[in-house]
Amino acid sequence: MNAIEKQLQLQPNRRMSYIMTIGIVCLLCIWSVTTIHFENVSVNGTKIAKNIFVGLLNPDWSLIVNWTTTGIPYLLIETMAIAFLGTIVGALLAIPLAFLSASNIVPKPISFIVRFLLIIIRTIPAIVYGLMFIRVTGPGPFAGVLTMSLTSIGMLSKLYVDVIEDLDKSILESMEAIGCTLMEKIRYGIWPQLTALFLSIVIYRFDMNLRDATILGLVGAGGIGAPLIFAMNAYKWSEVGAILLGLVLLILMVEYMSNRLRMKLVKG
Amino acid sequence: MQWKLLSPKKIVLPNGKEVLEKRSFIPVMWLILFILMVLAIRITGFSLDILVHRMQQFFVILQQMIPPNVAYLSKLWQPLFDTIKMSLLGSIAGALCALPIAILAATNITKHKGLAMMCKFILSLLRTLPTLIIALIATFIFGLGTMAGTVAIFLFTIAYVGKLLYEQIENANMDAYEAMQSMGLTTMQAFRYAILPQILPNYLSTSLFCFEGNVRYASILGYVGAGGIGLLLNESLGWRSYENVGMILLMLVCTVFLIETTSEYFRKKLM
Amino acid sequence: MIEFKKVEKRYPNGLLALNQINLHIEQGEFVAIIGLSGAGKSTLLRCINKMHDITGGTLHVNNVNVHQLKGKHIRQLRRNIGMIFQSFNLVTRVSVLKNVLVSFVPNMPVWRKVLGIFTKEEKRSALMALDQVGILDKAYVRVDQLSGGQQQRVALARTLAQNPQIILADEPVASLDPVTAKQVMEDFKRINQELKMTILLNIHHVDLALAYATRVIGVRNGEIVFDGQVDEINEETLGFIYHNTNQERGVTNYAMEAAVTEKNSIA
Repeated sequence: MNAIEKQLQLQPNRRMSYIMTIGIVCLLCIWSVTTIHFENVSVNGTKIAKNIFVGLLNPDWSLIVNWTTTGIPYLLIETMAIAFLGTIVGALLAIPLAFLSASNIVPKPISFIVRFLLIIIRTIPAIVYGLMFIRVTGPGPFAGVLTMSLTSIGMLSKLYVDVIEDLDKSILESMEAIGCTLMEKIRYGIWPQLTALFLSIVIYRFDMNLRDATILGLVGAGGIGAPLIFAMNAYKWSEVGAILLGLVLLILMVEYMSNRLRMKLVKG
Repeated sequence: MQWKLLSPKKIVLPNGKEVLEKRSFIPVMWLILFILMVLAIRITGFSLDILVHRMQQFFVILQQMIPPNVAYLSKLWQPLFDTIKMSLLGSIAGALCALPIAILAATNITKHKGLAMMCKFILSLLRTLPTLIIALIATFIFGLGTMAGTVAIFLFTIAYVGKLLYEQIENANMDAYEAMQSMGLTTMQAFRYAILPQILPNYLSTSLFCFEGNVRYASILGYVGAGGIGLLLNESLGWRSYENVGMILLMLVCTVFLIETTSEYFRKKLM
Repeated sequence: MIEFKKVEKRYPNGLLALNQINLHIEQGEFVAIIGLSGAGKSTLLRCINKMHDITGGTLHVNNVNVHQLKGKHIRQLRRNIGMIFQSFNLVTRVSVLKNVLVSFVPNMPVWRKVLGIFTKEEKRSALMALDQVGILDKAYVRVDQLSGGQQQRVALARTLAQNPQIILADEPVASLDPVTAKQVMEDFKRINQELKMTILLNIHHVDLALAYATRVIGVRNGEIVFDGQVDEINEETLGFIYHNTNQERGVTNYAMEAAVTEKNSIA
């Protein structure tokens, strides 16, 4: 019995730290509750929710089959084009930046500065970029492309760096033994390792950019965002329904294809 | 990947042996990529010319942002805290609600296949809708203000954490689970004692990571009227008071940097 | 008491896993079930606590008809039956003590169940179970830092804490080295003699089965081909149980020889 009592006392007591953590989280929650208010949920609010639902169920088909430049299909394609180009430009720009921020390739101070720069680029909301680029290119999808490129750089370089820091250096050793120059080492030793993974990351980012590109229309940078918000402000719920339906279908399709592509890339 | 129209190339070695080399798909891929790019350039009106000539306009605004208007700071605190609160509450509530949905979506715990598929579909759907659009719709339902933003973040977090969570549950080690069922524990009890300990570190880490991203998202939500610092951003941009915008951005960067560093520290400790 | 009457288990694809099983096991017996892989030993064991369902015949455990049990009653049946697995089936990231404490969960109130808070009494009982298998000193160690033999004893302690009347063990020593395997078998024997628990053991090592069990059941192709006391086993009966194609006869002959010599040396 004595040995058992002794073991009972020896119990590691992590109870204090559990209680403290949970306590802090609860406090944070209570502090944040001020953000919840139900007063504004007027009778209007629930009516609108119902209307949106109804609108989704009987979308305005005329818009969906409208093949001109103001119709949904064209706008969706425009949105896709914005996301596509934006991703490519962003992907290209992110490569050098990623290498510059990888601590196993450049000295520590440089990588730290570049990382800080990247954080700033990542934090500035897309809206701000959108407005800045509209000054450069005028309103329209071009501004959208440039905005998307900048916003992609942030996440792309972060993901790239993860891949770079996990590089298999052993192949460089064997290439050195064969007598290859630096360029050849990069082209045949490092590049093959990176391409498949980089491509996978880029496709993943394209998926997300497609969703973000829809927002650009709100600032007049092209795409399907503008008609959506006009329709909502005008309470034209079946139009809203049509646009949302088209959007969801597009994203689901792209997501499906991008998943298949990424599987093929990873598995060879 | 074999391109059916092109038959494999035959290589004949000096000693008479034949080797069949599959035709590579890659040149075709480059071609498709090129065509898509040209199309996209046409559609979006991409023009290197304009870019080169007007690029300095981009920096005009940037120059106006520096130095930022420090006096603006006093107006910023409340909305900044609002933004943090929105993301905090939305993330915590979302992460909590993601667990039951993920359990229902995992085919190794939920015996009813139809239910699991439906939950997976709901999660997919929630992830598909852009957060800003959910926020927009929420402002119509809940009125302008932080409630709409919290709801939007809540729904997005459920989708993001939920998907990663059910993937982990489905890949978890079921040995201890089987043992507990043989002892007479219910499905839920067996889950809590056998599977939960396995997925807990990753669950917490994912939720923290989602919170990080949500803070950045929350700043934009204000643009559609869903509360937080985005409202002030919208206002300042409209009035073209770029010194104010500069101040807002500065505060935003500092906040995000702080949150990301703390969050990364905790995430490393969890793993 | 376990009673099989003409029990049959047929899978949907037509495979007959158990064929006309008739068995009567009294409380407190130590039974070893031997036979080739795929003969139906695991299936037999798992039918007893309804992890598998039978498709014909009747199966009674302590006068309760197992096939008709539903929901809560299945769990009540299982609480009375402990199970030991070949791969130990422990929660590896968690401490030894926490693994044993899980046995008390079905009887706890909801709030303590969800939060995972155990009383001092429960912890004491768990520690006593650990003491009975001789690993009290490892109570707060993480399971994945223990050796195979130690892990199996944690599993045993977990079952003891459950205080069952019947223990089903599916190849408990298959992953262990010979010395540790003997230790675990000693534990089983002690539990059977001191606590009077019925023990049903699936085992490949015929020598261990013959050394520790009192009764042996031989299973071949889903049927019981031998059921008797340990001293009734000889080379001929073993050959009958392990009968297979001519190619494998060499191996089985060797195994049988080793088993019989071992048995003779102990006897």
